[in-house]
Amino acid sequence: MRRGPQSLHLNVPMPLEAPRIDRAPVRSRPQLWLAVCLPSLALECLSAARVLEPTVVVEAEQGQSYVVAANREAANAGISPGNKLGTATTLAASLQVFERAPHLERASLESLARWAERLTSLVSIESSEGLLLEVAGSLKLFGSLEAIKVKVRDEVAKRAFDLRLGVAPTATAALWLARGAGADALQAHELASRLGRLPLKVTHWPPAVQALLEDLGLKTVGDCARLPRDGFARRVGNAYLTELDRALGRRVDLRTEYRALSSWSSRIELDGESADNALFMEIIEQLLDELAEELRKRQAQIDRLAISFEHLHRPPTIESFALLEPTHERERLLALVGDRLERSLLPAPAVALQLRSAALKPLVQRESDLFEAKPLEELVRVLLERLRERFGTEAVYGLRAVAEHRPERAWAKNIGIMGRRARDEGVPRSQARPLWLLAKPVSFAAEPASLDLSGPERIESGWWDERDVGRDYYTAKNAQGQRLWVFRDRRTHDWFLHGFFG
Amino acid sequence: MERDDWQTRVWRGKAAAIARAVIPTGFDELDRHLPGGGWPIGAVTEIFIDDYGVGELALLMPALTALTKADPAKPQKWVAWIAPPFVPYAPALRQHGVDIDRLLMIHPTVGHKSRLWAIEQVVRSGSSAGVLAWVAAADDVVLRRLQLAAEDQACWTLLFRPASARQQRSPAALRIRLSRSETAARVEIIKCRGGRPGVVDIAGLALGEGECSLEAHGR
Repeated sequence: MRRGPQSLHLNVPMPLEAPRIDRAPVRSRPQLWLAVCLPSLALECLSAARVLEPTVVVEAEQGQSYVVAANREAANAGISPGNKLGTATTLAASLQVFERAPHLERASLESLARWAERLTSLVSIESSEGLLLEVAGSLKLFGSLEAIKVKVRDEVAKRAFDLRLGVAPTATAALWLARGAGADALQAHELASRLGRLPLKVTHWPPAVQALLEDLGLKTVGDCARLPRDGFARRVGNAYLTELDRALGRRVDLRTEYRALSSWSSRIELDGESADNALFMEIIEQLLDELAEELRKRQAQIDRLAISFEHLHRPPTIESFALLEPTHERERLLALVGDRLERSLLPAPAVALQLRSAALKPLVQRESDLFEAKPLEELVRVLLERLRERFGTEAVYGLRAVAEHRPERAWAKNIGIMGRRARDEGVPRSQARPLWLLAKPVSFAAEPASLDLSGPERIESGWWDERDVGRDYYTAKNAQGQRLWVFRDRRTHDWFLHGFFG
Repeated sequence: MERDDWQTRVWRGKAAAIARAVIPTGFDELDRHLPGGGWPIGAVTEIFIDDYGVGELALLMPALTALTKADPAKPQKWVAWIAPPFVPYAPALRQHGVDIDRLLMIHPTVGHKSRLWAIEQVVRSGSSAGVLAWVAAADDVVLRRLQLAAEDQACWTLLFRPASARQQRSPAALRIRLSRSETAARVEIIKCRGGRPGVVDIAGLALGEGECSLEAHGR
């Protein structure tokens, strides 16, 4: 299966001449890209990882954890990215290991991207690696490329990130030069020679592809560029030829522009005044469709939403919604809005509806572990959100037992249901307690004889917080067959009903 | 033998294709009278009571304990209490062995409409293994919807209703009336899908409470 360079040539009887860079397609305006690579971002974005012990960040792939970044101490121990976690731990006994946090990496890059928008209008985020800035138009403003680089270096140093810069007329080449610490290529005709010396690993092509190329005896980008095109496409893959072409400026190399996530709004005008809820729902669905599409495009989610109903002769009616957790799901938003709308009454017919979201937040991909438990947690969260939206936060809660003598204080509401489990307090007493407790004891005129009393259990406590109680509790049975929990206040001798043995 | 007889009846029933899932009530007398030997899971059960405090919660405690027990093989679902008339008392629940961390209390705004809405949301959500709801008014259509949702989500759905509501037609799989005699709790089975009506006296329920009386603890 192994193929040497010869076999490649044998299959290609008429090698094509390697294209020369000066034949690159003419662009309307020459571009100049500055690649801002943060090679240790995976490590640096974890504040906990900034320690003086050997530290690595790992990422799981097919059940194996691989090192994606290592700090200097870990590198000194011989650990490098690509190592298996097992290997790394044998190299450094006191190794600190962190899971990769893609959302933190993304957040760091977005923050840097927002800053970089002052240097150029075209900023692109390069997956988890860094930024690409198109600076051809900014050279005049800042005086020189060096001035721009200084600004970037200062800012990145402020954020304490490791930095590598690369400059080239194409984005891909700039990125490769940054990765390989290659010299700047300012003109298109310099691309071939500058890129040519870079080792293959700067391409970040899959290991299998790089291994194949090495087997073919190719070590540098230049080696690849010199190969016959159709042979390369057939052997290695068209996608890699395309990428090579992009780097060398033989093909247009576009980048998607980063746009800061801001709020979003859209408005639909009605044909006339209307108070028809069905029509409103239809329009809201349409607006939510738009919003969901926007969220999908921007890989974002929201946690607050407002709908304003505009009236002719009065200020708009605004219905606002707060979510427990950010979401990008249209159905979830629709259910929330639908519940509210069913019950709300507009003070006047509306002429237009506007939907606004609060600031968009980057979509965080949930980790795939605990896969079993997640869906249920999600179901509960959605349920809580709907119930609380309609009945209020206080109306939905869990229970907690509290170690406390006064019966009415031996339980508490647990409002943060989804959070950590309630602490296991309050050891059940030996004396049986009623399953129903009255929130407040109810006084009654007692005829103890008719109640068939058993007891008492004396409960005295609370003198330290001036809510002291002195009570004699009895179980009682009344004519209806109810089992009651009653007490007599030891000072006033009044009788109170405090619960039922449900 | 009697038990086998009941199971045969279950299989002859209309829903014979689906094995009936039940959760044992914890009271042998009652289990023997219920098809499959326990509370029907994935169905609506109506419990009619005249007063609170006649053992309506004690009757459920063994099943609730089983339902809230952690099972590492399954994600732990919730048991929701909707519009309970009093405070479900955490120390007592724990004395009965219920894991109170799995309980969710929901107090809908006043009105049976919002109560029924809440019940339906909870049952439909698939997040809950059981629902205990106190609701006076509920028409046939709503009950039918609840019954379907309970089937879909395998949710043990209990509705506590005033005894006066028993005259109403209902698609619930099980309808019982709970009352109290001097010595026992009396469960009157009004309707039972796949089973037959009857009356069961549960002495154990009264005994369970006897423990909290003075006699059990010594004077």
